[in-house]
Amino acid sequence: MQNDQALTIGTNILHQQGRMLDEQRWDDWLNLFTEECEYWVPAWTSETRLTQDPDSEVSLIYYDLRSRLADRVWRVGSGQSVANDPMPRTCHFVSNVNVDECSDSLIKLFSCFRVDYHVNKKSDAFFGHYHHELTPAADGKGWRISKQKIIMMNDYIPTMMDFYLV
Amino acid sequence: MNSPTESPLIQRPADLDKLLIDDVSNGQFKVHRDLYRDPALFELELKHVFEANWVFLAHETQIPQPHDYLNIHIARQPVLLMRDGDGNLGAFLNICPHKSALVCQNESGNKKFHVCPYHGWTFNSAGENKLIKDRPQGQYTPDFDSQSHGLTRLASFENYRGFLFGSLNPDVEPLVDYLDGIHHFLDMIVDQSPDGAEIIPGRSYYTFDANWKMQLENCVDAYHLTSTHPSFMTITASRASGGSEFRNIDIADFVNPDVPAGNYTFRNGHTAIWIDGNPEVKPLYAQYDELVARVGKVKADLMMKTVNFTVFPNLQFSVNACIQMRVMKPLEVDKTEMRSFCVGPKGEPKELRKQRIHQFEDFFNPTGLATPDDSKVYESVQYGLAAHSASASALGHERGITNVIQGPDDYALELGLNPVTSSSGGSELQDETVFHASYREIVGRMKAGVAQELDHAE
Repeated sequence: MQNDQALTIGTNILHQQGRMLDEQRWDDWLNLFTEECEYWVPAWTSETRLTQDPDSEVSLIYYDLRSRLADRVWRVGSGQSVANDPMPRTCHFVSNVNVDECSDSLIKLFSCFRVDYHVNKKSDAFFGHYHHELTPAADGKGWRISKQKIIMMNDYIPTMMDFYLV
Repeated sequence: MNSPTESPLIQRPADLDKLLIDDVSNGQFKVHRDLYRDPALFELELKHVFEANWVFLAHETQIPQPHDYLNIHIARQPVLLMRDGDGNLGAFLNICPHKSALVCQNESGNKKFHVCPYHGWTFNSAGENKLIKDRPQGQYTPDFDSQSHGLTRLASFENYRGFLFGSLNPDVEPLVDYLDGIHHFLDMIVDQSPDGAEIIPGRSYYTFDANWKMQLENCVDAYHLTSTHPSFMTITASRASGGSEFRNIDIADFVNPDVPAGNYTFRNGHTAIWIDGNPEVKPLYAQYDELVARVGKVKADLMMKTVNFTVFPNLQFSVNACIQMRVMKPLEVDKTEMRSFCVGPKGEPKELRKQRIHQFEDFFNPTGLATPDDSKVYESVQYGLAAHSASASALGHERGITNVIQGPDDYALELGLNPVTSSSGGSELQDETVFHASYREIVGRMKAGVAQELDHAE
């Protein structure tokens, strides 16, 4: 696997993910992940230190199964959560994509994100860094996200944050 | 003359009479909308509720080592909490006595010395001034040279079993007296381990655009659970066969005539509610036998319940599967800052700690499955309360008003509590009289504060 090839694969997946979230194509979004994916938004413990271990420190979000993400997707569309009614409109931007490591079985990526959103006549944004690990899909068609770590820089959260806002 | 507020409408204690209609024997308890929306009343609250009596600062495990520090606030006052070189705790205004710059700019850390970034005055971790830059050349008076120029200590600062409280007022009652019966509930947190409780690293800070009393009430509001959190209920029920770290309380138990529940209020505005059920989802459940042996069956059984309580005015605990500690900070009449922490017994086995952490994240985080719904509802209430065409008071404080009694109920006596009021029965009651104590305290302190200022002015 050449670096350029990994960059193209990785950038495509990141762009697809942003668009699927913006277009609320939740099932497509879930299908970007492996079944046993790790989805992790660590918390900050001070201005400079992030939590390091999701099992002994508190994260903002931590799941190690795609089905947990599916629960959150269900909640958003359930009509049973006032926090998601009305749904914010979102716009995901992903840039500065770097390939940190690549082989035929693993691609590691770094990138920057910003998600602008608008709800209840107010606009706000979350921004930070993504760290991704991609593995070849089980059916041999393309690549899937096996790890997604989201480092949220602005963690003084106005009212709420959910998976579609990062 | 100094007026108690800038508002021409609030100059005498009687001007505050309209805020509360407190007539429980005739079935009435009404809080005026202005208490949630009037900036002049908010100023009085900050002054007479937050800045005139005990408020919670932090837990001692947030600054465990010598020279550790934590930058916090009492309402509008920046406070620097430090451990000195011997490990002694001290609480100071985080304000340089020279020009009033913040001496410490960082949220937390470890420093032997804090150097003011403006003119370099330097303070050690005991708050003592160790350097006034170019002092000999300063042509100061002998009077200046005889003063200590250290950081200003908080007028009152006490530690209750690891929970640190401070006050800007030197004339407050001893902390243990102030806590009244709510200290039994803090004990319930501390005694879960022979080594006490700890804050688990990784906090979340968030804000909501609503008055702080939305949160004050919500913590002890059993009535909202089934209507605000149905998505959480559905998810946890469908996960029941899944991994233990993602199981949680069954909110259906909160509206069941066969599930016992109750609440207590104490002096100084403290409140607590309890509901039976679901002990098996708690990480603590594995320790039940050890707890019975160490603290007795009555206390161990309380630890197995869902218990939410407020240490008035700014500290709250939600104890369901896991334990959340929340600290409230009112920013404006319609904006509140929340700090949320996961609390666990020290020495907890690794697997149980993991379960506790993931249960906490799921329910309590502002990025979780329940708290966002609460915050959003507070904002909705704030919006509705601003409507001047609506009645002077909303109706949300009268459910259960014919059930509440003065003094302890049977369970309180069993627990050794002497509450001001008790209300108990099946969990379907979902009582609202538990809020009364905090409102009586808020309005009572505001009236007393206004009266005192008038005395001083005359």
